[in-house]
Amino acid sequence: MTITLDVRDLWVLFAGPPRPSVIDGSRTALLVEPSMEASLPAGHRIGLPGVTFTVNGGECLAVLGTSGAGKSSLLRTLAGLQPAARGTVLVSGREVTALPPERRGIVYLHQEPVLFPHLTVMDNVAFPLTVRGMPKREAQRRAVEMLRRLRVGELAVNAATALSGGQRHRVALARALCADPAVLLLDEPLSSLDPAVRRDVRTALLQAREVSGAATILVTHDLDDAMAVATHVSTIGRYGELSVPTAPAELLHAPPTLTAAQLLGVYAELAGVVEQEAGRSRFRWLGGVIDASGLEPGPTIACVRSHELEVHTAGTQASPVLSVMARRDAAHEVLLDLRDAAGATVTVRAPSHTRATLGDAVQVVVRHARFFPTH
Amino acid sequence: MTVDRGSLARTLAFIALLLFATAPLLMLVATSLARGWFYPALSPTTIDTSAWRELFTDAGRRDALVNSVVLGVCTALVATMVALPLGRAAALSTRAVRRSVALLAFAAVALPPVALGIGLQLTVLTLGLGGSLFGVFLAHLVPTLGYLTLVFLGVFTRWDGRLEESAATLGANGFTRWRLVLLPLLRRPIVDAMALGFLVSWAQVALTLLVGGGAVRTLPLDVLAMLQAGQDQRAAAGALALAIPALLVLGASRVAARNTSAVVA
Repeated sequence: MTITLDVRDLWVLFAGPPRPSVIDGSRTALLVEPSMEASLPAGHRIGLPGVTFTVNGGECLAVLGTSGAGKSSLLRTLAGLQPAARGTVLVSGREVTALPPERRGIVYLHQEPVLFPHLTVMDNVAFPLTVRGMPKREAQRRAVEMLRRLRVGELAVNAATALSGGQRHRVALARALCADPAVLLLDEPLSSLDPAVRRDVRTALLQAREVSGAATILVTHDLDDAMAVATHVSTIGRYGELSVPTAPAELLHAPPTLTAAQLLGVYAELAGVVEQEAGRSRFRWLGGVIDASGLEPGPTIACVRSHELEVHTAGTQASPVLSVMARRDAAHEVLLDLRDAAGATVTVRAPSHTRATLGDAVQVVVRHARFFPTH
Repeated sequence: MTVDRGSLARTLAFIALLLFATAPLLMLVATSLARGWFYPALSPTTIDTSAWRELFTDAGRRDALVNSVVLGVCTALVATMVALPLGRAAALSTRAVRRSVALLAFAAVALPPVALGIGLQLTVLTLGLGGSLFGVFLAHLVPTLGYLTLVFLGVFTRWDGRLEESAATLGANGFTRWRLVLLPLLRRPIVDAMALGFLVSWAQVALTLLVGGGAVRTLPLDVLAMLQAGQDQRAAAGALALAIPALLVLGASRVAARNTSAVVA
């Protein structure tokens, strides 16, 4: 039977009042129908309204969102660990919305791997088989086999409390896979890990995908994690709306919304205005003018990646001259704070080979941009 | 030769503490084995074990001992069975509920036994259970439940609920979660709570006296009666018998703590 996770018009609840967006503080008014508000459990507010998507077996959907956006609430609702306001969750065509967690065929992995401290690694991994009534010896044999497939077979007889961070993640994954889930939910498994362990756990997640045919959802606020592990990516918008899942590369190249672009963390935001001049749309910003064909006039934000922008010494281009107020070097790019003659400032992301330093007069050429009207 | 004054002070303090803790017990041992130990003799002149033999052979004394054990065991069992889910429910509930439960539990512990006993006596008499072992059991249950509810409230306030969530999504239903996850992890607190419950009941005097009305004999009441009658040797043997469970519990909890840390490590 083909594995699918179908989520239709699911309204995810927050415990407590909604938190404003980290990005722009806008998430204060949520889309709650008056009739629905009366039926909400006490102390709850709608976090994500009308979530709808499908994940097929073997696919991994990454959900990108800021802290407090409702990513974990979404997973916990899917797993049955908290109630949904409305909507349906179907696992391989079977509705599980009203079923308790143990009968959904959905395994949820917490951000910090939760192993049972009174059991050995082997018995932890055998746990889902034991609860299904499998004889202990057979369950342990399969557990050891699964541990070997995730390259931690040598840990089988260790105490669960005596593992390193990466080992704990691998063991938790092995245990989840032993449950043979139709759906695997991963709640930010890579956050709070140091780079070496992070690489190790990413590899383990990819191995887990190969081992399991489960439909997987990974929530994260890190684009690199999503790119490394997921087959599709969705973003959570300003009002908790989930974007249509797209391929990671496609999302990176053409984010559907400004919020998605902001979440990706690779775009500089150039505020400006689209004007009509001689029948053509042009985007005017601090550093000059960019062609914006097809856009309606009005306030707009242009999102530009570092390799789509050039910084030249003043006097070589036709665009306005800006002075460099600050330079911050990052791993693969340079962040420059620029100011025009009137004192207005903007931050751009430039290629790492850019030479401009504090106090330099420069001109900026934007070769490609994505526009998001803000009016 | 130089003398480390700090070390000397620590050694003296330790010896003083040891004497302070053990002197009453040593005195009881000596008194329980002494026949006719009078001033100015520094030690008993005649050793006599009759008071100890009597503790187990005298029918009245044996009844008191059995009553104490039965009351202690039943109170510990029932109080644990009630306090565990109560403490858990309160810990998982709202702050207001948690505080209310803690306040009620603390009131049962903090109220002076005589005040509590008089209130309970009136209640138990109304129920027609005055002077009965069952009535005394109900009375013992009140402070014991208070203590154990506070114990489990503390345990579950620090409890990691993610363990149960993990077990649930891995396929364990409510019963299996209790059997395979909660109970094994709660074994130590449950054993501690039962020991505490037993000791609270074991040492009750005022509640037993007020609710039992003298018809229910327990070891502490017997010891008091012997003391009032000037039977020091018998009273000392009884008092030592009262202390034995406490010492056993102390030793057992030390062993359990060592075993638990060995498993975890």
